[in-house]
Amino acid sequence: MAMRAAILRHIKVPVRSQALAGLRSREWNLSGGALVRFMSSHDEHLTKEEVMERVLSVVKSFPKVDPSTVTPDVHFQKDLGLDSLDNVEIVMALEEEFKLEIPDLEADKIDSTRLAIEYIYNHPMAG
Amino acid sequence: MGSPRLSGMQKQVLSLYRGFLRAARSKSTEDRRRIESIVVAEFRRNAKEVDRKNFLYIEYLLRRGKKQLDQLRNPDTTGLSSFGLDSSRNREP
Repeated sequence: MAMRAAILRHIKVPVRSQALAGLRSREWNLSGGALVRFMSSHDEHLTKEEVMERVLSVVKSFPKVDPSTVTPDVHFQKDLGLDSLDNVEIVMALEEEFKLEIPDLEADKIDSTRLAIEYIYNHPMAG
Repeated sequence: MGSPRLSGMQKQVLSLYRGFLRAARSKSTEDRRRIESIVVAEFRRNAKEVDRKNFLYIEYLLRRGKKQLDQLRNPDTTGLSSFGLDSSRNREP
């Protein structure tokens, strides 16, 4: 919410005086990435399709995975032949992709693309 | 195989692994890459070589790993030189 308020404030900047805009330009740059992301989606929350697409692309780019075997419902260990250490690495890569920190208790449960998509889609902070 | 339910000890190992990878994220790109490759290799090697029934030894490795992780979390630590790893086992590529 704080982020959203900050962005909305910045959107008003151009109609204000130059001096004020100048003062705020540093902040503007800092939130630039968030602004683009905010304006690129129709809603503040990611759509399920977007989450799915990005989850699949993270899993496909994992070095030990054959990209052609990755679907929205594959089990990392049973279907992709990964082990529990790989599982940790995949979940960590998903954290980075969606700018989340997933607690151990949750992370240990995410063992398939289906659960990953579900968890991230329902996470209020996923970006 | 599948993913059998994890034992308490396995969870501790995975949690430590996660901790190392998280700590590495806070370093510079180059340090991070170096730290990650050592951490990944070390965990892989132990997963392969250590008898999973050797609880005492695994507990020892966990304790040692936690200490090393605490060191790595210090913002001044940029690499694994102060890491106390058995250097003979960590050949630089």
